Amino acid sequence: MIVFAIDALEYTMVEEFNCTNLKQKFFGKTNITEFSQPRTMVLWSSFMTGKNMEKQILAMGDKEMWNTRIDMKDTFFKRFKDPKIIDLPGFNYVKEQHEQERVLLKSYFDVKTDEEKNKIRASYNNLAFEHHRRVKQEFSDALKAGHDFVLGYFSVADVIGHLNFGNRAMMKMIYKDLDEIAGTLKDSFIVLSDHGMEKIGIFGDHSNYGFWSTDFKDLGNPKITDFAGMIK
Amino acid sequence: MNEEKLKFVIVGHVDHGKSTLIGRLLYDTNSLPEGKIEEIKQLCESLGKDLEFGYVMDHLEDERDQGITIDTAQTFFGTAKRDYVIIDAPGHVEFVKNMISGASQAEAAVLIVDAEEGVKEQTKRHAYILGMLGLSQVIAVINKMDLVDFDRNRFEAVKKDLLDFLSNINIKPSYVIPISAKNGDFIASKSGTMDWYKGPALLEALDTFRTRENANQNPLRFVVQDVYSFDKRIIAGRVESGIIRKGDRIKVLPTGEETRVKSVEEYLRKVTEAEAGKSIGIVTEDKLFIDRGNVIVSDGDMPAVTKRIKANVFWMDRAPFKKGESLTFRCATQEVNCEIEKISRVINSSTLELIAEDADEIKNREVATIIIRTDKPVVVENFNKMEELGRFVLGREDTCAGGIITELE
Repeated sequence: MIVFAIDALEYTMVEEFNCTNLKQKFFGKTNITEFSQPRTMVLWSSFMTGKNMEKQILAMGDKEMWNTRIDMKDTFFKRFKDPKIIDLPGFNYVKEQHEQERVLLKSYFDVKTDEEKNKIRASYNNLAFEHHRRVKQEFSDALKAGHDFVLGYFSVADVIGHLNFGNRAMMKMIYKDLDEIAGTLKDSFIVLSDHGMEKIGIFGDHSNYGFWSTDFKDLGNPKITDFAGMIK
Repeated sequence: MNEEKLKFVIVGHVDHGKSTLIGRLLYDTNSLPEGKIEEIKQLCESLGKDLEFGYVMDHLEDERDQGITIDTAQTFFGTAKRDYVIIDAPGHVEFVKNMISGASQAEAAVLIVDAEEGVKEQTKRHAYILGMLGLSQVIAVINKMDLVDFDRNRFEAVKKDLLDFLSNINIKPSYVIPISAKNGDFIASKSGTMDWYKGPALLEALDTFRTRENANQNPLRFVVQDVYSFDKRIIAGRVESGIIRKGDRIKVLPTGEETRVKSVEEYLRKVTEAEAGKSIGIVTEDKLFIDRGNVIVSDGDMPAVTKRIKANVFWMDRAPFKKGESLTFRCATQEVNCEIEKISRVINSSTLELIAEDADEIKNREVATIIIRTDKPVVVENFNKMEELGRFVLGREDTCAGGIITELE
């Protein structure tokens, strides 16, 4: 089983760019209305445990929540003999990478001049793309290594989207790249996003639903916590 | 920029490389804003890929949305011979609608087919539309030759399939060219990848096409918009084609009465003639009964004056047409009542499936071949001969269909 986990994959963009590989046979929106806000750490933690983790994660505070490391035994991954999880928030993601992104994002909004902003945007985008290329390679290697479960978490649509969602051409290239990755998957897979993204001028903010797709079953309007019981 | 422009459209299956070809044409003719290709190249590299020309149009569209540079509904580039306009056809429904309503008329078409995938249903549908619209200047390009190792046998097989289909719908492409839009083979110039192909590259082939004849050289068609009586009686209208001169012998249609041009009147200017595209007034030597909707012509090549017209129409109203309903027929400034006498064929404009023959109704977005009977004679022409009098709309309170005249009786 493969889970192609994509942060902030927006349902309407998948449709607009006609990403047929990402859509597979059945696709739709996930229902995340049980959560007060579409927060990345809360949603992925809830996904892997099959429980609404909002209260526990928020109790850790804004800063500390990014250090969340849920134990394998508390996730559905334990059902597999040789699972490979790549960079998943709340489980094993590369903290330094995401921290650097957050620092750059904050400084983008702190600086005043366009020149400074453009410079930071370029560094931020480079950092995100570089990470994306690494994850892509790691995912591709994992798929060849004979694991009985592979989950690859791709943050590029979210990270780039926050500063560039209004740049349609750039977002299209990212969605098409993700679609190409989905096109290389030979075994049965689930595409899942924690939330989508909506345009705010040139920027992007989380939208209140996620995306799912499979080629074996119409899941309707599932909750993100439903997948833990479903994936065997 | 040259005066002469050739408008063309690129059609074909959605995945066969239309965007890549447009990007490549703009790049190879140095028609992109400075730095644009570097920007796209950098983004492709960021994603670990080679440069993809298919994203050029997306980037230009983004700039248009931000009001920066280019209008991509019509994309321009030039060769040493002349300038070209690629008319954007996001889907074939829009293409048919634009062609029929006169929003944008292509004079030529490039039909693109993937060398690996070959002729698909959508290829056939688009080719069918070209036939329906009477586009005769067609180039077929067999794209993605790089994916089939520039193999001549594969090219010949796809070419044969394509020509077999096209011959059924009376389209004979002027050229069938093997290309790789991605690599730039046989787009702007020949390359060494396909020595077995001896024909022209795409741009060389386009350069051999003719533009729509300069409207001044066509016979006179002066469409009357209104008649004003001041100290003299001025017949106001627009010269759709030809040139009208003081002293010319003219005929007023549909009545057929004849007279001469006493003077040509242009606001704040003293003139003795007016060419195609001008809105002017004329004064005639004899006082004839002339009214809005009349068409003034010179002797020679005459339009038809008829009450019966065969046409292709594109229905654009949510409310379907049902046989027996009376509609308004508008062509240039002519406006008369009409009925649709026969609906010979109805086609789904999206799938191009035949819906019905000898039908009783036409629904939204359907294309139909019909025979119209007007209650008074109208002055019209075959669309392919003179589009200004070959194009019409049908109306209720608002316009509900656009059409082109294919045959006159």
